Amino acid sequence: MSDDEPSVLRQLARLSTIGISLVAATAIGLLIGYGLDRLLGTKPWLTMLFTLLGIAAGFLNLFRDVGLIGQPRR
Amino acid sequence: MATETNEKASGGKSAWFVLAGLVVANLLVGFFFAPRHVGLHTAPLIQLPNFLAFLGVPGEWLPPHVTFTWLVMMILVVFGWVVGRGLRAVPGPLQNFAEVVIEGFLGLLDQMIGRQGRQFLPLVGTAGLFILTSNLLANIPGFQPPTANWNTTIALAVTVFISYNYFGVRKHGLVNYLKHFCGPIWWLAPLMFPIEFIGHLARPVSLSIRLFGNIFGEESVVTILLGLSWLIMPYLIWLGVMLPLSLFTAAVQTFVFIMLTMVYIAGAVEEGHGEEHY
Repeated sequence: MSDDEPSVLRQLARLSTIGISLVAATAIGLLIGYGLDRLLGTKPWLTMLFTLLGIAAGFLNLFRDVGLIGQPRR
Repeated sequence: MATETNEKASGGKSAWFVLAGLVVANLLVGFFFAPRHVGLHTAPLIQLPNFLAFLGVPGEWLPPHVTFTWLVMMILVVFGWVVGRGLRAVPGPLQNFAEVVIEGFLGLLDQMIGRQGRQFLPLVGTAGLFILTSNLLANIPGFQPPTANWNTTIALAVTVFISYNYFGVRKHGLVNYLKHFCGPIWWLAPLMFPIEFIGHLARPVSLSIRLFGNIFGEESVVTILLGLSWLIMPYLIWLGVMLPLSLFTAAVQTFVFIMLTMVYIAGAVEEGHGEEHY
């Protein structure tokens, strides 16, 4: 990431995902849980579970994007 | 300082002429053109009668984003055809331009994905050229960018999503590719798999919403400014601020989209699927 000059734009591309993907992951988890609840009739439980999973996914993506864990993306 | 005052002395009169010309042009645009033809919520210049009604498409006219998607397709196809027809060893200006564009894409692919990157030029190049052309279309009054509609961008993003997963499965096989979703620790796999799955599903959503939101927001501001253009000042703001800004945004959003596409493809086809992801 330090070797070439268009890395500012590349970091812009990478970092501009953070805000949206945090929200999108949570919303998708919520939607999956809500849909499964409607399907299976287990009213509050799967919504809660999948919302938590979605929040976890959002934060996992966030931590990866800022390079706290794992290999930083190229 | 001195040159400035000099210019003011000599060019003061012509500056007033230019300003007067701008005002007249602005009044013409404002009164006759802008209210009816500029922006997202009015009829665009090109409309096709709804010949797809038997498929359940509502309305008297085809939706503008469909019409302008076809227009962008036509521009790109005609451009490609004209360039491809007269290929020469010593390129003319048109072929030179096309070569610069393709070389740019190839350079990015080499940088981001590595030596296996060039096989993805059809996907990345098409997406990039399509998005760039339609974003730039926003700046022509009477034209609407297809990317200002979520249907277009979600179609692009879903295409990218399916493609990069397919590339990953093709490269590693289904089992190995899914294993890469499960994380490094085996007893965490039942927890990691849904988390990774949701994280991957969030990608097309964020890709499409970013592109759509940027272009739509910009178009909305331009709509409002030009709708008020009989007040003259909004027109000058559009000319001085929004037009350069939207040219810049068009390029940046295209770049962000294809950059993320390449990051996703690179993560899916990467050689060593070990501890690290992406």
